[in-house]
Amino acid sequence: MSTEDAHDDHGHHLPAVEDWPRGFGEASWWPFITALGAGGIYLGAALFIVASGQDSTISPALAPAALVGSVAVFLVGLYGWLYHAFVSAFWSREASETSGKALRWGMIAFLGSEVATFGGGFAYYFFIRTGAWPPQSLPHLLGSLVVVNTLLLIASSVTLHWAHVALRNGNRRNFLIGLVATLVLGVIFIGGQVLEYYEFIVHSQFTVTSGIFGSAFYGLTGLHGLHVSLGAVLLGIVFVRSLAGQYSAERHVSVTTVSMYWHFVDAVWIFLVVVLYAGAQLGA
Amino acid sequence: MQITGQLALTVLMGIFLVGVAAWLARVENWRSYTPLASGGGGAHGTGHAEKPSGVIRWLTTVDHKDIGILYGFFGIISFVVGGLMVLGMRIELFDPGATLISESFYNSLLTNHGITMLFLFGTPIIAAFSNYFVPLLIDADDMAFPRINAIAFWLLPPGALLIWAGFLPLGDIVPAQTAWTLYTPLAAGVGNGNQANAGVDLLILGLHLTGVSATMGAINFIATIITERAEEVTWANLDIFSWTILTQSGLILFAFPLLGSALVMLLLDRNLGTTFFAVEGGGPMLWQHLFWFFGHPEVYILVLPPMGLVSYILPRFSGRRLFGFKFVVYSTLAIGVLSFGVWAHHMFTTGMDPRLRASFMAVSLAIAIPSAVKTFNWITTMWNGKLELTTPMLFCIGFVANFIVGGVTGVFNASIPVDLILHDTYYVVGHFHYVIMGAIAFALFAGMYYWFPIYTGRMYQRRLGKWHFWLTMIGTNLTFFSMLILGYAGMPRRYATYLPQFSTLHQLTSVGALILAAGTIIWAYNFATSWIEGPKVQDGDPWNLEETGMHTAEWEWFDRKIETAVTDGGEEESVVADGGGERDDA
Ligand code: HEM
Ligand SMILES: [Cu+2]
Repeated sequence: MSTEDAHDDHGHHLPAVEDWPRGFGEASWWPFITALGAGGIYLGAALFIVASGQDSTISPALAPAALVGSVAVFLVGLYGWLYHAFVSAFWSREASETSGKALRWGMIAFLGSEVATFGGGFAYYFFIRTGAWPPQSLPHLLGSLVVVNTLLLIASSVTLHWAHVALRNGNRRNFLIGLVATLVLGVIFIGGQVLEYYEFIVHSQFTVTSGIFGSAFYGLTGLHGLHVSLGAVLLGIVFVRSLAGQYSAERHVSVTTVSMYWHFVDAVWIFLVVVLYAGAQLGA
Repeated sequence: MQITGQLALTVLMGIFLVGVAAWLARVENWRSYTPLASGGGGAHGTGHAEKPSGVIRWLTTVDHKDIGILYGFFGIISFVVGGLMVLGMRIELFDPGATLISESFYNSLLTNHGITMLFLFGTPIIAAFSNYFVPLLIDADDMAFPRINAIAFWLLPPGALLIWAGFLPLGDIVPAQTAWTLYTPLAAGVGNGNQANAGVDLLILGLHLTGVSATMGAINFIATIITERAEEVTWANLDIFSWTILTQSGLILFAFPLLGSALVMLLLDRNLGTTFFAVEGGGPMLWQHLFWFFGHPEVYILVLPPMGLVSYILPRFSGRRLFGFKFVVYSTLAIGVLSFGVWAHHMFTTGMDPRLRASFMAVSLAIAIPSAVKTFNWITTMWNGKLELTTPMLFCIGFVANFIVGGVTGVFNASIPVDLILHDTYYVVGHFHYVIMGAIAFALFAGMYYWFPIYTGRMYQRRLGKWHFWLTMIGTNLTFFSMLILGYAGMPRRYATYLPQFSTLHQLTSVGALILAAGTIIWAYNFATSWIEGPKVQDGDPWNLEETGMHTAEWEWFDRKIETAVTDGGEEESVVADGGGERDDA
């Protein structure tokens, strides 16, 4: 362990110079507020479950109120956080190599954890596939809707990459065009998923409680849908920031990390279509 | 009868909470200090403080050292809560019948003891050390994401609240009785029992929240160790503690989110009627596979950083560098990889495919090898060394001793024919407590004593430290060795009652637990009083590490901090370090 003699004095950077409360270098209310909101969301979910118990004495209005309030607090916290950590001093902050690298590694690690998150759901699906198949009459899975939706999502990855390249070449106009295109494609995809759910639930009577395939289908597509929605929100933030004039050929870390996330979610979708949509027909 | 037990616990909790409140009141008066020792920051010297004062400082801090202290307090509070729970159980087990508390309340204590100790004490208290010291050891300004660091901590209190909520007097909610493994169908609320009750849902939600917290922390450590190292800190000379934290974070990254998914699936099964773990769907086997795919890495998530602590601290009092440093790092990485390939050794008796079972046995036996490599490295480090039996060193040696027992009993468990007999007996309980209490907690105590001067600026009372060690060492071995024998004798685990022939051993176990409690009280008293009025440490080398050339980055930082600190006028006697005068009585 020879870190021993490796420490001469060097500049110490304070992490939260621009923040609330003002005037301190290592203080920020945002994490606390955000955690309060997040904790409140879990508490709200808990209240929902408690209130739905048979002889619960809790007012049924409590849970929705707690949920709405907590989501609001959570969003305020996130907004303040993003604003102070990334947005407010965007141009004056030194574009340090390490902070960009840290954010990229942070995203890589996060995506690693996402593999495990999805892994749980896929494990269930593979587990039931070891039994007799099909376990029930399956809905019509491989329609034109899925094909179109898949193509849309792939296209959105292409447009996003194109936008990113444009930004690095200093072509702001194309960057914005690509970003808008990606966002629109993403939103249409979500719309397509909603439509599919509607078709299945209302017309095919195939719901989350429809047998063991229902759990797999809605569990996995639901989890993925949530991820696409989050991706759309992230893209929206990048879009608003770029409208406000941020990002340049040198400063584009959040475009990079959001792209990584978006491509990842796209890849999961392709895997999901092959395994769950097409795969369910296999052997059926 | 159940009321008495609950009443007693409530009173104990009440006393405890008053203590916490008293501490918080003290915090209010703490002055904000200037943590910058290197003096490079622009704000330095202009009368501009880094932190607000009072409670607000602690609510808003994004400083890794403050967050480390918050984690520490949170972990210690959980340790006390989990300890009180198990004391309730052990007192109940003094006699064969269910006399003091009801069986179902016993089950609730059992469940929450396990979950509290693993998720609310173990993981957070390790984060206390890693937050405080990793940035110092790699000479980073702070963590890569200081705000994410703060939020990861602040998710823990609501998580704890949800986990413990079942014990609060909230209408018809009863605390979960599923044991920490949450096996379905019981945990899915199927059948005529009362586990469809919302208490289990609250527990699941709370666990999920703490998992999110752990995952955020892991991402932060990975990014920090990879990107924030000072130029001089290369991979080749990265310290051993940071290596174990990096490996641990990698394990968390894949283990906790998977548990998160499994918990959500369980929640959906309970509340929306999905079939993830229903018999016609994935069934109990799927739950066990998912749970242990998380659960086995979790035990290494808990043990690797304490191994790092011992590898870091033990050489300081052996007067020699860690023997075979490289191999300690390699074995850490090997354990990290292998730990994902052994989970089914928890399921040998489930009737799984025998060929699969055999392969899991092979990998489980293999994982003992890197563990043994480390053990031999610690022993050879001490061999012919100049040992100083300070309190942290005693805890390190205790760690090695107990870990050997824990590891060897693990190998027995990993062998299928033996395990078929010992599974679900007290033998298993003895095995993992030797590791978790005997090793992990020991290493954490070693760390707390070793760095006590850094985070308090004061020295603890040496005599009380020794008392704490010996009581803990004796208590641990009495408690858990009795459990091993109980297991051989055929006593099944997780029961509030037992047959009269087990009385003596159970009573020995309970006495051991009380000895442990006595040691813990001494420790708490020692730390509390020393923190408030212990002798101030005057220089950055209270352990005289410079003599042996073992001075490390965090002490240099501490030295600079002392030099630049504003003296607050207090004149207190200087301190003789725990080590110095004691070589004789070694
Ligand atoms: C030397 C390597 C180890 C081996 C080969 C090993 C093997 C085993 C086996 C086979 C079991 C299952 C016994 C049964 O349920 O019948 C087991 C249980 C357990 N082990 Fe280990 N172990 C080792 C190290 C550890 C370590 C380092 C820890 C803790 C940090 C640990 C914690 C546990 C726990 C918590 C359980 C019980 C889980 C439960 O059923 O509640 N083990 N071990
Ligand atoms: Cu295991």
